[in-house]
Amino acid sequence: MEFGTIERELFIEASPEVVYEVVSSPDHVKQWWPDDARYEPVPRSAGEIAFGDGDAGRKVVAFTVVEARPPRTFSFRWTHPADQPAAVGNSLLVTFELSPSGDGTLLKFTETGFREMGWEAAVLEEQYREHTAGWDYFLPRLAPYATKLAARP
Amino acid sequence: MTAAVDDDLWSAIGDPTRRRMLDLLLVEGAGTATTLSRRLPAVAKHLGVLDRAGLVNATPAGREKRYQVDDAQLARAVAQLASVGSAWDARLRRIKRIAEAIERTQKN
Repeated sequence: MEFGTIERELFIEASPEVVYEVVSSPDHVKQWWPDDARYEPVPRSAGEIAFGDGDAGRKVVAFTVVEARPPRTFSFRWTHPADQPAAVGNSLLVTFELSPSGDGTLLKFTETGFREMGWEAAVLEEQYREHTAGWDYFLPRLAPYATKLAARP
Repeated sequence: MTAAVDDDLWSAIGDPTRRRMLDLLLVEGAGTATTLSRRLPAVAKHLGVLDRAGLVNATPAGREKRYQVDDAQLARAVAQLASVGSAWDARLRRIKRIAEAIERTQKN
């Protein structure tokens, strides 16, 4: 394991075009990660994602699109200070690379920047995890979502 | 533990030479600057960083110091990153489910 970088690969039974939409469009991203997402899925678009409902528990995090090349590559930086442009050293870089594979798509995921960002970023992530990782939290949201998609003409 | 100490721990373990040093110390049980310098460069500097981050413990051994890995501190560092990885595992599973649901809808 390379400390400081997270790498994953998974096969998805959907076309790269569909997977690209799911990993890049704010409306879809909200279904698998934050409670709110505001950005344009185009390069250099600066926006934010937010976790938690209500003012007390709400946590807003900066989010800047780096690369947007449908249906192959979508990458973004996050966790940089809101008043600073995202750059190496002040943010985590997340990259999704998609390639056609059989009847579906091979998704390669990396997150880098922990070494440059230091320990605090990992601690921050762990806090999010407690809020967002549980299936208890997401399953009730996913089921209506899938039904809604299926109901579309 | 303070954030500053945590940063030290993270950057200590982020360096490839220091990870190799930890590997050697784990495999061999312990080492001194002399034994490590046969295999690695700039041993004194890297041992100092590991020591300050609490990742090794030093005991006097003649004119040298004998270094051993602090298992608890190393486990803590590894667990922290593993938890970040498992958070992404859960997100990627959701990405897969959503994309496959859309694909099925479009085919029908």
